[in-house]
Amino acid sequence: MKNVYIGEILRNEEVAQDCFLMRVALHVSFTDPHPGQFVMLRVSGLVEPLLSRPFSVCSFERQNSSCSLDLFYRVIGRGTQILAGLLKGTQVEILGPLGRGFEVAEHKKNIVLLGGGMGVAPLMYFAMQLDKDTCSSSSAMYFYLGAQNAEAVIGLDQLKKFSCTIVTCTDDGSMGEKGLVTQIFLKDLKKFVPGETMIYACGPKPMLNALAKILQKTKYPCQVSLEERMACGIGACLGCAVAVKRSKKSSSAYKRVCADGPVFDINEIVWK
Amino acid sequence: MSETKSINMSVKIGTLKLKNPIMTASGTFGYGGEYVDYVDLNKLGAIVVKGLSLKPRVGNPPPRIMETPSGMLNAVGLQNIGVHIFIEEKLPILRKYDTNVIANIYGETYDEYKKVAQKLTSAKGVHALEVNISCPNVRKGGLSFGADPKSAAAVTRKVKEVTDLPVIVKLTPNVTDITAIAAAVEKAGADAISLINTLTGMSVDIFTRRPHLKNVTGGLSGPAIKPVALRMVWQVLQKISIPVIGIGGIMNAEDALEFLILGAKAVQIGTANFINPQATIEIIAGIERYMELNGIKNISKLIGTFRS
Repeated sequence: MKNVYIGEILRNEEVAQDCFLMRVALHVSFTDPHPGQFVMLRVSGLVEPLLSRPFSVCSFERQNSSCSLDLFYRVIGRGTQILAGLLKGTQVEILGPLGRGFEVAEHKKNIVLLGGGMGVAPLMYFAMQLDKDTCSSSSAMYFYLGAQNAEAVIGLDQLKKFSCTIVTCTDDGSMGEKGLVTQIFLKDLKKFVPGETMIYACGPKPMLNALAKILQKTKYPCQVSLEERMACGIGACLGCAVAVKRSKKSSSAYKRVCADGPVFDINEIVWK
Repeated sequence: MSETKSINMSVKIGTLKLKNPIMTASGTFGYGGEYVDYVDLNKLGAIVVKGLSLKPRVGNPPPRIMETPSGMLNAVGLQNIGVHIFIEEKLPILRKYDTNVIANIYGETYDEYKKVAQKLTSAKGVHALEVNISCPNVRKGGLSFGADPKSAAAVTRKVKEVTDLPVIVKLTPNVTDITAIAAAVEKAGADAISLINTLTGMSVDIFTRRPHLKNVTGGLSGPAIKPVALRMVWQVLQKISIPVIGIGGIMNAEDALEFLILGAKAVQIGTANFINPQATIEIIAGIERYMELNGIKNISKLIGTFRS
């Protein structure tokens, strides 16, 4: 039987403008998350805000007698405002790890990760695993890291520890390349041969929409991690619906971001 | 642990026997299987499954949910796999558990209600039907049936004609006088009444100036609606004599006890399942503890002991 875990906040600090990194200590029995999986988090004992919030796992470490989970979040509403005010030692309820994460593609020469804004979080954990993984050591890893400006870039110091080529992109050019992460990637696209390349992306909807457009007539395989408001995180509330293509008829159907995803094949999703 | 053995929490809803008064509310517990990793289904009084229609339904476009003060709005739009796939694929899983399976049903016409009821009656492993005459999300989705005593009674009669299973009719709070609907449904032969379904509400995004829900309106659930639910259960109890099942914002044992004390024979746990998948189990344990502390051996000695 799975349980709701009570975690203790080890650190909770602003690492970029309005972006926080929270580290939570958990009981040793907590399952190792697979990259791309998420957890539902809420402050213990609070009825307001009512619902837990989904956060993708940004890092996970296991020690002998405990383990710790890192989550990135941006303060966007009341729920995250409350989170930002939590002090070290505060107890939080964690449900997870949940959902289907990234599928590792074997024997690809190039692994390309595209992260925009908070979308960097699950890809950082993925990069950490790929960096450790000897099977993918024959692959070259590229990380396109997008943010609005230099102040909003997150995760760069962490990524520098991994053996990957980092391409930083900012909307205003205050750090790295000037332009959207998808535009910069498009310029480099020719460098990657479709059959030898696997793309993984996570970021705001407009970014993923743009990526879908770039890739729609190509043969590059791509997995995207999606975000949607959700209530339960375990596939029951049907709140986090995403429109997917249906093979037989033209009418669209919905899948659940929490239980069927959050990682989907880019071709499966109905993009705007 | 041996002490708790002497506590009797079983209740009866018509001919339906429950080991305890805790049920899951339709639409918050999937088809049961979604929760097997978190809940021993054998411990539940009953599982009320996601509302079933004759044909599968894809549901509403997203966004479908929005959090509101102490509650949430949903406009899922009755997405479901349809009665056929439920019987083929989900019911065999539920049959393995020692609990009551209550199939929540809905239709857009009297004929659809009848057909869904017939199919579930002939399937093995369904212990009762809960008729949704109240879902406020889909324009044709039953609002007209539940908002009018005559059509509410007519649906009840049609379903009763084709089934020998206990029939629970689930009422909408979005009416002028819920007691009139309750009385009409009782007269039409309902074995029990469950209330309340969600209250219709909405929420506006001040930056885009659009509704937060694609469907514009949605059903409000969660702790915010509990006082309304208690008031309506109390009013209905004074008007009818068939069993009443209380629903609305129950988050913990204390909330459930309020409904039981008023006179509800059982309660359904809804939104709480989303926040804590083990809410039902914790509520059962909490009621047991309350009974122990207050020297109540049989829950029948607690139900309906409200002093007004």
